Amino acid sequence: MMKVLIVEDEALLALELESEVEIAGHEVVGVALSSAQARDLMQSTQPDFAFVDIHLVDGPTGIDVGRDLAGNGVPYVFVSGNIKKLPPDFAGALGAIEKPYTMNGMKNALEYLTAVVEGDQALQPPASLVLAPEKYQVA
Amino acid sequence: MPSRDQHQTDARDAGDRLVAAHVREDPFAAAFKATRMPMIVTDPKQPDNPIIFCNAAFEKMTGYSNEDVIGRNCRFLQGAETDRETVARLREAIAAGTDIAVDILNYRKDGSTFWNALFLSPVRDDAGSIVYFFASQLDFTTVKSREASLAAARHQAEKDVAKHMADLRTALSARSLLVHEVDHRVKNNLLTIASIIKLQARQTKDEGQKQVLMSTLNRVEALSTVQRKLFTLDDVSKFDIADFARELVADLVNAIKRDDIHMTIDLSPVFVPAVKASPLSLIVNELVGDATRRGLSDGGGKINLVVKKLEDRFLIRVEDTSDPVVVDSESAEIGRMILEASVRQLGATLTKTVDGRRTTVDVTLPIENPLEHE
Repeated sequence: MMKVLIVEDEALLALELESEVEIAGHEVVGVALSSAQARDLMQSTQPDFAFVDIHLVDGPTGIDVGRDLAGNGVPYVFVSGNIKKLPPDFAGALGAIEKPYTMNGMKNALEYLTAVVEGDQALQPPASLVLAPEKYQVA
Repeated sequence: MPSRDQHQTDARDAGDRLVAAHVREDPFAAAFKATRMPMIVTDPKQPDNPIIFCNAAFEKMTGYSNEDVIGRNCRFLQGAETDRETVARLREAIAAGTDIAVDILNYRKDGSTFWNALFLSPVRDDAGSIVYFFASQLDFTTVKSREASLAAARHQAEKDVAKHMADLRTALSARSLLVHEVDHRVKNNLLTIASIIKLQARQTKDEGQKQVLMSTLNRVEALSTVQRKLFTLDDVSKFDIADFARELVADLVNAIKRDDIHMTIDLSPVFVPAVKASPLSLIVNELVGDATRRGLSDGGGKINLVVKKLEDRFLIRVEDTSDPVVVDSESAEIGRMILEASVRQLGATLTKTVDGRRTTVDVTLPIENPLEHE
């Protein structure tokens, strides 16, 4: 079971992702719509994992939020409609899930990511998850 | 210091001596005087190398009379706009006693300017020392102004082109910004639609309703995947149906978690224009979905998906081996409708053969666009 932070400015998408994550047996400790909210929640909830959209209420600030998460040792993935916008090092993210993802795609990605965060590297990454370039991977 | 009058007298005498050296009927002297080519002769042995002779054409070109010019150095033809470097080159040529041809801006008596194609050369005596300088002139102002207006026209054209290029670049970047904005909204909206359906499916207690919502979600997600994949290609006008099929099957196999359903794929890249992406993807989605439903209810089986390009058409084939079961008639009906409508839209052909436990569905699509041959 992971404590999960969701950083997403589309409230309905965040709500649905929250259900999906909870059904998979995790706890959603917060939903942030802006970078400031994301930083507050990161400090106050100490999540084990985070989903981060690139575009937030205050602009394309998700990448900076991601760098802060990585700096604090929080593994995370981007969830975005334009993963081409990501810097080459993926800002320290494990990978990215491209929108619009399918229900199966998200389930498979979540299962794989849970295993990775818990230290199990044996699984094959699913098609729905674009991994960060190998030379930048922290693991 | 001798006066200007004295200089002029000396120069005129020198000119007279030059002319007197030729008999009256000398054809060369007559030609020199009568030619339309402006010409002058200077005497370098006198102080400041004065003009000692000019012809009528020279008077006509410059507006100066014979009286005005004899005894003076040629520099009175220069003015404020005359290029100093050109003047320096002339001076050096005279000092060195060599020929020179230059284009120089000169001034007429009335102050107007003209472009002078000047040719200057020393005239030597038998001993080889310079006795005169001979200069011919040609007013080429019209040529020069045509050159100038051509240059101005070219300059203007270049400016216009640069402006149009800048306008185009601005328009292009505005357009690409707009395309990305629209793409972003379409993706978000498709995911929002999917989210609403999922939320509703989770809320409902009715198993039948849940199934209907999930089957709707399945088709919405097929279209979502098309939109996602369209923009990951560099060329947005082409779509690889095999790539779509690969992801569909990978996600499905991963998600259904049924060891008794064996899926195999035989895919090679099949690029179609973007306009065909949605109906083709719906076809693949329906065929795979239908085979999976049969396998799921049957308790296992084999499913093989083929996407490849044949000689003159594309082939999508789904074969499954399982005991034929009667599936829910409503969901079978909607599946059939989507399949047939998509097939009709593409001008494709669908054949289904059932042979005992094996069901084979072939959809073939004619290649009609040169793009699709790539």
